[in-house]
Amino acid sequence: MPLTTVSNGRTYDWSYAIGRAAATGTGFNYPQTMCLGNDGDIFVANRGNENNFGQRVNRLKLGAPGDEELLAEFFTWGEGDGKSQWPFGVAVDSLNNVYVSDEWTNAISVFHGNGTFIRKWGRAGSGDGELLRPAGLACDKDDNVIVVDSGNNRLQVFTGEGKFLAKYGKAGSGDGEFNQPWGITLDTAGNIYVADWKNHRIQKLSSDGTFLMKIGEYGTVPVASDAFAVTYLGPHVSTTPPAEYPKAGLLNHPTDVAVDSDGDIYIADWGNHRISIFDARGRPLTNLMGDAQVMSKWGQQSIDANPDMMKALRRVRNLEPQWRFCFPTAVDFNPKTDEIIIADSQRNRLQIYRKVRDYVDFQANL
Amino acid sequence: MANHDNIALMAHLMRRAGFGASRDELEARAAKGYEATVEELLNPESQPPVDPYELLRYQPAALLPGGQPPMGNVNYMYYLVTTKRPLEEKMALFWHHVFATGNSKVDNYDQLLEQIEIFRNNGMGNYRDLLLKMARNPTMIFWLDNNQNHGSAVNENWGRELLELFSLGAGNYTETDVREASRAFTGWTFETKIPRLPYGRFPWKFEYRPEDHDDGVKEFLGHRGHLNGEDIIDIVVQQPACARFICRHLYNFFVADEPQVPAWSLEPPRDPEALDAMAKTLRESNYEIRPVLRMLFNSDFFKNARNKHLKSPAEVVVGTLRLVGGYDIPKPGYGELSMQPSYMGQDLLNPPSVEGWHTGSEWINSGSLMARINFVAEQLGNQSLPGVRAIIERLKAKGTLAPDQLVSECLDLLGPVEVRPETRTELTDQAKQWGQLSWDSNPNAQTAAKRATEMMQLIVATREYQFA
Repeated sequence: MPLTTVSNGRTYDWSYAIGRAAATGTGFNYPQTMCLGNDGDIFVANRGNENNFGQRVNRLKLGAPGDEELLAEFFTWGEGDGKSQWPFGVAVDSLNNVYVSDEWTNAISVFHGNGTFIRKWGRAGSGDGELLRPAGLACDKDDNVIVVDSGNNRLQVFTGEGKFLAKYGKAGSGDGEFNQPWGITLDTAGNIYVADWKNHRIQKLSSDGTFLMKIGEYGTVPVASDAFAVTYLGPHVSTTPPAEYPKAGLLNHPTDVAVDSDGDIYIADWGNHRISIFDARGRPLTNLMGDAQVMSKWGQQSIDANPDMMKALRRVRNLEPQWRFCFPTAVDFNPKTDEIIIADSQRNRLQIYRKVRDYVDFQANL
Repeated sequence: MANHDNIALMAHLMRRAGFGASRDELEARAAKGYEATVEELLNPESQPPVDPYELLRYQPAALLPGGQPPMGNVNYMYYLVTTKRPLEEKMALFWHHVFATGNSKVDNYDQLLEQIEIFRNNGMGNYRDLLLKMARNPTMIFWLDNNQNHGSAVNENWGRELLELFSLGAGNYTETDVREASRAFTGWTFETKIPRLPYGRFPWKFEYRPEDHDDGVKEFLGHRGHLNGEDIIDIVVQQPACARFICRHLYNFFVADEPQVPAWSLEPPRDPEALDAMAKTLRESNYEIRPVLRMLFNSDFFKNARNKHLKSPAEVVVGTLRLVGGYDIPKPGYGELSMQPSYMGQDLLNPPSVEGWHTGSEWINSGSLMARINFVAEQLGNQSLPGVRAIIERLKAKGTLAPDQLVSECLDLLGPVEVRPETRTELTDQAKQWGQLSWDSNPNAQTAAKRATEMMQLIVATREYQFA
């Protein structure tokens, strides 16, 4: 299977993976969203589980493959200031302050970039400034915070101190309406892109909330008759192609969106276990399925420390299920490095691709 | 038939073929009719399935929970509590009782949930096909050591349990049959799975290894040839004992408590005629389960079996959570809720042995009884839950309640629950101490609501409430 995806004049090289399943320390625990900081570090919000393990935001230093470092962990499980129940969204403002949503307490907590708690705001409800299961977050150029108010099916805009400024959208499936929206991103012009999760589409709004465009329609990926189900909800792996070719542009519960410096749009097509790429006008380009054929640095440490795992890994006939995305929840684009960073949620890792500018066709006669 | 009788019969059907129903649902179903409701239950595709994405939206750790509770239990409980296809889910639980496979050995709730999904999707279909799916199910293969059943070294664990617990029952085969069946399943195994480190769990995949299969001649239950596993299953379902064995399981689960499975070769069934009729239906339908269930739920022996079945812990917990409502989202604390059946003696996804759980009166001991009562009483005492509020609203609509009225109405709305005269007297004596309940002012209404929930808490502590 390709580590390089070429389509429609674009080329994407799989670069490396970061992380492993870990309730604390160097790894992730069901990452839900993430956000690049101003210095190139990345903040990842981990959901954890009902044993109250794993909930946290971790801050990682990125670099060349193998250079990753864990810098901080905060917003761990607990009650009170700086603690979380259901961590979800994360965003960073121009001062590198970190905003994190908690879907259960209906609050937004604010931290310094090093993880020191500053304040929190938000209360449960459906009135102006009230929140119900706040999900994705984004900071605009004025350092206002746009909250995906998921349970109320709308966006709300607040100052960094939590003063209500505006709201956009309502429940429904029409233009500018939402059904349990999830992730959010802004492009360089300040336009807003929202993963309208249960409407199976991305909506693009202007910075003042005016509907501009929608991308995608509901659909699942065809499954070959001999496919092996990696989980009972997919992904499916097969050596033979499915009977029908998948229609382009289908989405199944999209969770997040990113926009690159060319305007191309990356969608975490969560239920189809892939990243779907569209051009700036919303035309489908290609999909990334996950290509982690090389172990992450911290993952390799787990294997090296457990000879039984190493032996088991050697006995496995087909490692493809391990390469693939399994419910990817979040996608970011780093304009400084042309990297596409994907939170591969059920595999508790990030997979990183690079948009290649100088690609030439591979030498075919090697 | 009076309306009350219709409601009582519908409540009986929904307790057995599902996990109970609210009074609103019972009234709607009674208006629709008994046989029509049976047909709806038998054809679950008429109702939407549980939305697994909603579960993963809030509890992503419930998909691949690994070996540590409670996330696997959260997954299973979410389906049990939110399903709109109660019989589909009840049949999945039934087969989980029969093909009992547990986390204690498998150490992987993912695989057990996958097995439950097989039961969910095939539970009312063909028994022979389901048996074959189980023979190829890696979780079952690991549970009963068929991955150690080699052509040159036979392991009889799967072959024995296939005959003893999954199809025929003791006394209907010989030790030679066990040996020969086991030989026929040599080479039925699974590929090495991707290990759990560093990225979490991956599943097994069934694999048939012809080089590890004993292809020699076998003699099994009077049949001779180069038998493979599928041949064994075909021969098994031809045996008259097979239909009776499966139907006795169905009778025990849906109609009335039978002795434990190992005693079935010694103790006669409670209702041999019913069992004969069920077995005849199963054979005539070529082992389709749905026609047997249709016959069962429409039979007089089922309709007359009210309160002859001691509720399993799963029925207690799921029935309560569906009654009180408010658990449509797997909110924080769902893990603890999903472990409640374990505290009452039924650790879902982890039965005590391949024999499954002992049912009937063996559910009850001093600890499990207290766990049952405390759990149900706590839920019914929570007036913030929508189902509890709905019951209180119905009581309020009755106006001022005399003590005996309070008892009657609460018994009615919780079931109807049928109690012995002495139980009713005890409940009424308590209600008399509270006097008449009225709703004419806020303080009185608050008091009345509190007393009503206290009366319900007393009712769920009675012996009669433990039966369905």
